[in-house]
Amino acid sequence: MTMVDHRMISGFDRVLFVVLFFILGIGVLSIYSMTGGVSSPGRTALYLKQIYWIILGFAAFLIMAWIDYREIARFAYPIYLLTLLFLVLVSLIGRTGMGAKRWLMIGSFSFQPSELAKIGILLALAKFFSEDSPKTGLGLKRLLFSGAILLLPSLFILKQPDLGTALSISTILLSMVFVMGLRSRFLIYFVLISGMISPFAGQFFWNNLKDYQKKRIVTFMNPMEDPTGTGYQVIQSKIAIGSGGFFGKGLFGATQSQLKFLPERHTDFIFSAFAEQWGFIGVSVLFILFFIVIFWGIEVATHSKDLLGSLIAVGIIGLISFYFFVNVGMTLGVMPVVGVPLPLVSYGGSAMVTTLAMLGLLFNIKVRRMIH
Amino acid sequence: MPKKSDDQLKRSRFYTIFTLMMIGFALVLTRLVFIQGLEHDLWVARAEQSQEKHVKLEAERGTIYDRNGKILAMNIERPSIYAIPSKIKNPRKLAGQLAPILKVQKKQLHEKLLKKKDFVWLKRKVSLEMSERIEKKQFEGIGFIRESKRVYPRNSRFGHLIGFAGLDNKGLEGIELRHDKSLRGKAGFVVMERDALGQSVFPKDFDYARSTPGRALTLTVDEVIQHISERELDRIVKESDALGGTVIVMDPWSGEILSMAVRPEFDPNKVSSSRPDQWRNRAITDFYEPGSTFKIITAAAAIEENLVDPDDLIDCENGTYRVKGTTIHDHDAVGIVPFRQVIAKSSNIGTIKVAEILGPDRLSRYAESFGFGKRLGIDLGGELGGLLQDRKQWSGRSLASIAIGQEIGVTPLQMVTAVSVIANGGWLMTPQIVKEPGKSVKGEGSRSKIKRRVLSEATTETMAEILKEVVAEKGTGRRAAVAGYAVAGKTGTAQKFDRALGRYSKERSVSSFVGFVPAEDPVVTILVVVDEPQGIAWGGQIAAPVFSKIAEEVLHYLKVVPQGNRPQEPTHPQESIQTAKRRSTLVQIADRSGGTSGRIVPLIGPRW
Repeated sequence: MTMVDHRMISGFDRVLFVVLFFILGIGVLSIYSMTGGVSSPGRTALYLKQIYWIILGFAAFLIMAWIDYREIARFAYPIYLLTLLFLVLVSLIGRTGMGAKRWLMIGSFSFQPSELAKIGILLALAKFFSEDSPKTGLGLKRLLFSGAILLLPSLFILKQPDLGTALSISTILLSMVFVMGLRSRFLIYFVLISGMISPFAGQFFWNNLKDYQKKRIVTFMNPMEDPTGTGYQVIQSKIAIGSGGFFGKGLFGATQSQLKFLPERHTDFIFSAFAEQWGFIGVSVLFILFFIVIFWGIEVATHSKDLLGSLIAVGIIGLISFYFFVNVGMTLGVMPVVGVPLPLVSYGGSAMVTTLAMLGLLFNIKVRRMIH
Repeated sequence: MPKKSDDQLKRSRFYTIFTLMMIGFALVLTRLVFIQGLEHDLWVARAEQSQEKHVKLEAERGTIYDRNGKILAMNIERPSIYAIPSKIKNPRKLAGQLAPILKVQKKQLHEKLLKKKDFVWLKRKVSLEMSERIEKKQFEGIGFIRESKRVYPRNSRFGHLIGFAGLDNKGLEGIELRHDKSLRGKAGFVVMERDALGQSVFPKDFDYARSTPGRALTLTVDEVIQHISERELDRIVKESDALGGTVIVMDPWSGEILSMAVRPEFDPNKVSSSRPDQWRNRAITDFYEPGSTFKIITAAAAIEENLVDPDDLIDCENGTYRVKGTTIHDHDAVGIVPFRQVIAKSSNIGTIKVAEILGPDRLSRYAESFGFGKRLGIDLGGELGGLLQDRKQWSGRSLASIAIGQEIGVTPLQMVTAVSVIANGGWLMTPQIVKEPGKSVKGEGSRSKIKRRVLSEATTETMAEILKEVVAEKGTGRRAAVAGYAVAGKTGTAQKFDRALGRYSKERSVSSFVGFVPAEDPVVTILVVVDEPQGIAWGGQIAAPVFSKIAEEVLHYLKVVPQGNRPQEPTHPQESIQTAKRRSTLVQIADRSGGTSGRIVPLIGPRW
């Protein structure tokens, strides 16, 4: 275990911390303005809860930054198996909320094992790919095996059901495979086979979707078909964003979101509320902040000391960007409503802790490349 | 070598990832430009469309109380009349029927009924009988909602201080404006529903509960003292045919405003029949030249700096004195008199001579220290800082002018707060208008309201002695005396500066008296300012009697025991518990009565 020396924190990292501070601040402020600072008796105000989660998240960040990632990776498979166990437990004794069985109760504290699964899968895949990797690209055997690593927990998560998370974790595999490269001969097979399978798989997939999930996809194709039903969210979101205009309506002038037209305005649709309040200017600032985080992550992945670090970094950045683009795309009506949060901004404890823990891991990889 | 090429291959893949991200950002941003830029108007229209179904229901405004819990502003329920245009079959006919009852123009009403909206207000907060007349006829598409309307049960009393709130529950003036945010509460909403025919209707039992009522506010003012102040101010304004006036009564120890009366009067219940300039709380928004009342500051500064003793003899030149090319006159010519008489007789010459020893630097510093030239920071909107030139901008004549209260503009609030410094043993307080919850116990709470120490207790004791002589038999302020209580105070008569003529006007002046009572154990500081009284304008004749009347009634109301009737252990009324506390800590100062130690102060320049 190596100590993290303060000299290893470069100027750019300092910028990163400022950027994180601002993104988290935007999140807390938006939650505050959408749900109010008042807490009903016996219940903590949501924005305060979010602050507590951020503090917990930073503890996770520090832990993940402190212990050498190669040490962590040594336990990749046990961690992976542990998350599988949690997922099995959820399907057996999980708490049901909003029509989905996603939460595990430990005392009065509830958490989503699917969040932990992200880190388990990330580490397991990175370890698997980094061990005596062929220089010519991935072969069929390794690809199938890695697919199995992904698929096992995904099935449990799909069953919860949580389509958004299930889709998002597949980006971990995709981005790693992209970096590893496929054997060129195999690439052709891959495209051909998936082309043949996909109609059947699609049929199977569609049949296994819940009604509301099907509806979301139909609505995405044509939101005006059902403006008061499922398309409602997207239309309200677009009204909020569009009426925000260039300068926005101000913190408390965002009538569309504050009058509660906008659903999920502090969770999945927080971006719409933010865009209504701060307009194109505010959104541009938010984009720049996210761009810096993603850019920093790619930089870490590019210059990592070893393949393991590169793969972990790429997986994390793939995941965070997936969330970012799908969430923003969803509020803008260019992606189906799959129910993914805006990382670091949306209200939600487990996701906040996981995201900050992953950023800690990135920081770990960044710092360790200086130590020889 | 192959390792290196492999590395480079990998690197190119990272660049591809980076490029993909950039494309992602570009796509999302383009989409945003479309929605927020090009299609902005479309979405704004959509927003308005969906919000029309939202009817805002204002929260009940917080009640405003005086210090004893008497209501100064409250709410009553009044019906508001609305229409659902889509339900009205013959708008023209209905407008004709409704217009005479609602007392509005038929054309305007007709236009409202033709609007393509789900909901439109016809008239809000109307009288009960008006709504009943319409209710009886049972018009289709016309409905009623009870809203709360602001009323001010004391009418014009406190008018300037409280201000008023508008029809939409928004505070527009005074306390109502200043504390609007907490008084207003949080509005609630009702969403119109569509019935089977697709018409908009109110849900059967919508709840007002969704609005959060505003918070109540307790002021430091006392309704009875306000009543006394306004009554006496009215009397003098009428008798002297003055333009207006101001009275402030302050508790010098806590800085709490007990009354703040301003004329011309203003009734917040009848806003529409008054002019905006009548709404202004002149006690804080207007400044005047204080004239001789400002000599208190000059004298206190000289005593604090140990430059002059009350018994030092000063040559007042028998009423005519040339300084810096101008001739100064005294109203009552005096010769060589002790300093205490200079103030009692309000000699300009004597005061200027003392000021010359004090010098401009120190006078300027003390004026600022007493709170002039800057806002005191009372919790009211529109407070001005008055007019006090920066020392660097002083001309050769500034020292002499400012020493006797010219070339300086003060708000009534500043003057009463400055004189409270003399009354409370040397502390400049931040004037208080809102009683802080949980801090109603006097003593501890007000400690934080101290701005700074201006004078030593010894100086304030000396000043109180001198100011008592103003009200003594031969002083200019003898009419301010109150039977049974010693009054300390100062008269002021300031000619108004006539901008058109470029000199001080002979006819137009501001007459004032400021002081505290009882002199040795003050309970209240009172300022009376009368603006442009006709005929005799001397502060001693116009303002001093008003002071006397107000002081007498206020002291009786506060049950302050008159001098001579006091028992051994004075039972202090509620108002002066703190007074007793502070007095017990008073340092007994040396007796300065030695009248034989008189010295003659030289004409110009310091001797010490």
